[in-house]
Amino acid sequence: MVRVSLLNWPISSRRSVPVSGPGGTRSSVYQLDARLKLRTRLGVTLLFGGGLLGVWWYVDSEKQQRLRQQRVEQLRKVALGQGTFSLLDHTGRRRTKEDFLGSWVLMYFGFTHCPDICPDELDKLSAVVSALDRDPSLPAVQPLFITVDPERDDVAALARYVKDFHPRLIGLTGTPEEVTHAGRDYRVYASPGPKDEDGDYIVDHTILIYLVSPDGLFLDYYNRMKKQEQIVESIRNHIQNYVRL
Amino acid sequence: MAAPNSAERKACWDARDQLWQCLDENNDRLESCQKFQADFEARCPAQWVKYFTKRRDFLKYKEKMQTEGFTPAGGPRENS
Repeated sequence: MVRVSLLNWPISSRRSVPVSGPGGTRSSVYQLDARLKLRTRLGVTLLFGGGLLGVWWYVDSEKQQRLRQQRVEQLRKVALGQGTFSLLDHTGRRRTKEDFLGSWVLMYFGFTHCPDICPDELDKLSAVVSALDRDPSLPAVQPLFITVDPERDDVAALARYVKDFHPRLIGLTGTPEEVTHAGRDYRVYASPGPKDEDGDYIVDHTILIYLVSPDGLFLDYYNRMKKQEQIVESIRNHIQNYVRL
Repeated sequence: MAAPNSAERKACWDARDQLWQCLDENNDRLESCQKFQADFEARCPAQWVKYFTKRRDFLKYKEKMQTEGFTPAGGPRENS
């Protein structure tokens, strides 16, 4: 009986009470045996059930992982920025898209004669990069300024212009064809307005800041309404959740 | 012609802001703000002067739309 109580099953101890007298001992031994069998059966069931559940969980997580990978691959195929570019930087060195693979890039298209929007946006972009620089857990983000006005923005003009902004900002220019080609990859629109007596003109153009991932593909964009803090937060999230294939 | 540098840009924007403030205070009467207009034109490239003048019209129009809402062009209307 001690063993029975050790099993500590209230239902069985209740059952064992009326079984007393001559046949009592045999009966309780039989019951103990049955209980042990029940325990074994329960244990085996748990083991198998648990095993099955574990296998199911593993297969399911594998499947989810595969679906996520497929989704990322699908998005990659339709992403902007599949192409390449080859332009001159503000020091006169030729730079291609491959030079920037592996680092996060913030890209802005504009022109140095731009009255207010470009300088505003480049100030904002510089502040964003500086804010990200202050977080040691994040990799350095590379800011790029690509001209949409190759006629006037030569290497010297860009060199004068970029020094007003973030120290790492790289200005890029090239022939009209090279510049158009670079912009087309990110669906950039640019159209020079009429020239005045001095030959001066304003270029109407896309004024978005583009975030490009380390594999060179477009990941997000920020319009004028986006504040510096919002952009910093968004980029931080993108960097932390980035899935490299 | 080289693009304005950062100091020149700032000088132009300050002149623009002073002119715009004067125009705001004088009900957009340019006669009252001749001095600021001349200063604005002296400090900004001609293209920028044109651009900012149009931009002010746009900003004022936008503000009007936001505060007063859009009113369809008036004209003789008959009650049906």
